[in-house]
Amino acid sequence: MPSLDYSRAAELTEKLEHRLVDSLESDFKTTRRAVLGGIGLAGSGALMSTGRTDNGGHGHSSDSHGNFGAVGEYSDLDFDPHEYLYQFNTGRGEQENVPQDIYEENGRTVREFTFQAVDTTVTIAPGIEFPAWAFNGQVPGPTIRAVEGDLIRVKFENLGRHAHTIHPHLRNLNPNMDGVPTNGPGVLNTGESFTYEWIAQPAGSHFYHCHSLPLKEHIHRGLYGAIIIDPDPERVAENPEEYCEFHGSQITDELRAELVAEAKSRNHEFSENDEVNEMVMVMNGFDTNFDGDNEVYAVNTRAFAYSVGQTDGNGNWQAGETKRPIQLDKTKRHRVYLINAIEFDLINSFHTHSQFFDYYDHGTTLLPTNKTVDTVMQCQAQRGIVELDYSNHDPGLYMFHAHQSEFAELGWMSFFEVV
Amino acid sequence: MSKSDTDGGTTVNRAERPLGLPKWAAALLPIILLGLIMGGFFAATPFASLDTGGEPLPDVSVSHTTLPNDETVVLHVTNNGPGDVRISQVLVDDAYWNFEVQGAGGDTTLEPRESAQVVIPYHWNPGWDLDVALLLSDGATVHHTIVAPSQSPGLTGDLLLTMAVIGLFVGVIPVALGMLWFPFLQSMSDRWLHAILAFSAGILAFLAIDAGFEAFELAEQVPGAFEGTALVALGIIGALLAVQAVSAWRKGRAAAGDARAQSGLWIAYLVALGIGLHNLAEGLAIGSSFALGQVSLGAFLVIGFMLHNVTEGPAVVAPVARGERPNVLHFLALGFLAGAPVILGGWLGSLAYSPTLGAFFLAIGVGAILQVIWELWGMMSRNGRAASALNLVTFLVGLVVMYATDLFVAL
Repeated sequence: MPSLDYSRAAELTEKLEHRLVDSLESDFKTTRRAVLGGIGLAGSGALMSTGRTDNGGHGHSSDSHGNFGAVGEYSDLDFDPHEYLYQFNTGRGEQENVPQDIYEENGRTVREFTFQAVDTTVTIAPGIEFPAWAFNGQVPGPTIRAVEGDLIRVKFENLGRHAHTIHPHLRNLNPNMDGVPTNGPGVLNTGESFTYEWIAQPAGSHFYHCHSLPLKEHIHRGLYGAIIIDPDPERVAENPEEYCEFHGSQITDELRAELVAEAKSRNHEFSENDEVNEMVMVMNGFDTNFDGDNEVYAVNTRAFAYSVGQTDGNGNWQAGETKRPIQLDKTKRHRVYLINAIEFDLINSFHTHSQFFDYYDHGTTLLPTNKTVDTVMQCQAQRGIVELDYSNHDPGLYMFHAHQSEFAELGWMSFFEVV
Repeated sequence: MSKSDTDGGTTVNRAERPLGLPKWAAALLPIILLGLIMGGFFAATPFASLDTGGEPLPDVSVSHTTLPNDETVVLHVTNNGPGDVRISQVLVDDAYWNFEVQGAGGDTTLEPRESAQVVIPYHWNPGWDLDVALLLSDGATVHHTIVAPSQSPGLTGDLLLTMAVIGLFVGVIPVALGMLWFPFLQSMSDRWLHAILAFSAGILAFLAIDAGFEAFELAEQVPGAFEGTALVALGIIGALLAVQAVSAWRKGRAAAGDARAQSGLWIAYLVALGIGLHNLAEGLAIGSSFALGQVSLGAFLVIGFMLHNVTEGPAVVAPVARGERPNVLHFLALGFLAGAPVILGGWLGSLAYSPTLGAFFLAIGVGAILQVIWELWGMMSRNGRAASALNLVTFLVGLVVMYATDLFVAL
């Protein structure tokens, strides 16, 4: 199966529309309009399913043991979790709602971002609105990406009703920049601003969040996001022992070269990085009824957003307009910056079906800390990098989800569609 | 008396000087002895050897909460137990939080039956539930959930005016409208007038049942130290007896030839008083729901109350439908007495609400209403058989009408 992107899928869809509708209608018993709507965005997801439907024959009825997922589609399109996956901000103006700049200062690269905390609502499951506190109106907040050693400057203004801060999980040498109530400016009340300056170190997959009290409330209402720090290959070449578990005396030239190559593949300023499909996944949850337990679990806020639109439980599935698998080009490497922003539950996890991956805890090393695993566990605020290779897999759907079955069935259920 | 003649007259002497003491001394003797025994207990502690060192469990309740502004939560707590309790820490949503105990004599210790306010500086969110826990010195916790918090109204002219207008619409106006049936009532035969009185009794019976259940329900929130259920029972029986005593006094006057006391106007005033007390409790309910932010005072709710209360008008004036028409000022006074307490209740409920007060007022209303039903029953039986088929049917219709109109009022 050739690699197929959504725009090409749409063209193919056009040609095959009538045939598809005919076959799908009998299988899913949906209206013509819904099927057409689904196909409109579903692209090859729908194509694939049709192929299987044709092969598998007709007449399957819906199976009560195979259906899962929230009913309906997302109607609020302000936030697209599929876009969020790939939305990095390096200071070059990638995201419209995040004013940013990149410039040199005292021989150091400065990446400057403007963050505003606002009170808003976010859609967490079809038809369910959650009153959120959000950086720049989105949950998770904008992903910041910098290179090791850069200066990250965040001009923060609080427009929310409550007092907020930004606390980065970075190695910060100035306590005033820690974003906690006791240090520096402390909490920033409504209308107050402060400019945080953080040194981008160490390399890895990192986390920022509001540290106002009550902490559980301020975090789980949505004030968190990802900071990705790319390793600097020059620094890796000089201090390779900092990026692996070997002592300096154990580093061979071969290992050094391997570490530098991995650093280049991680660093967005190198062409080697273009070969890797990189995604940010923030595992989160939402307590909608104030009982101190999450009612909705998700990756990137929207329950089942990377799941299928519907399935009859007999091997047939269909992509929805807003609920659809993440497509992976099998010829590429895939890297997930995985962050656990869950509250109220002690741990979260990431499990891939029919696949084993290399895991780099906190992303601070260039050699895996867990090699060849299919499940990793993260405590609150723990994060890491998952590297996936589907080059030998047949095209098709590969499930991934939290292996807390409760979380999976409450929204943290996703699929990769390898094409 | 014939026997006393045979005992030599000793009984007479005993009655005059019991145990050979003067009368007043005989009355005080048991009290003095009780005092001596109690004093002896404290001095000699005769049960000290039986004391197993058992300690009563702490019993603290949060009767209600107020939210004076969006940065403050106030818990109203009462120590129901027999021992002192100290509020050592406060948790808000499972996190230790600042707090101050006010009204407990400057410390954080509550003596038995002592009430205090725990003031917590917390930036709460309208509509977002809060679970608050008091952590006592022995580690016991007292949990209280503030469901859908909203700011408590303070004492402002606006609030007083709002409550007065609401009271006017749900209390005074409907009762006054109902009283306009008076000329129609006057034109009725005795048989039908009795049927109308039975209808009024049905209305009142429903109010008594409804308010009675509500009072006992509310009594569960009354701090244990105040014995909510007993308080409600006392309120009902107390009010019943108090109003009945007034009524009996009136009958005594009437028997002695006081013309004014004989008129139906007395009963009309008693009915108005009973309904007024009930409406006071209704006002409390409206005011407290308003204070808790749990009511949207939309047109539907007000119309529901009006439908509900318009039936109270004829109940008030039915007793004076026979005989001479009273002065129009009496009608105004009757209407005011029956309807205006809604306003007073609204003020009390929104400003000084507590479950204890609410339950007690509801109970008083129930007692007053029961007495009025008693009175109406007497009025009907004086001029015929009260339990006629027609009267029983209209009594039932009264109950059903109130049930139906009550459905429009969901507080």
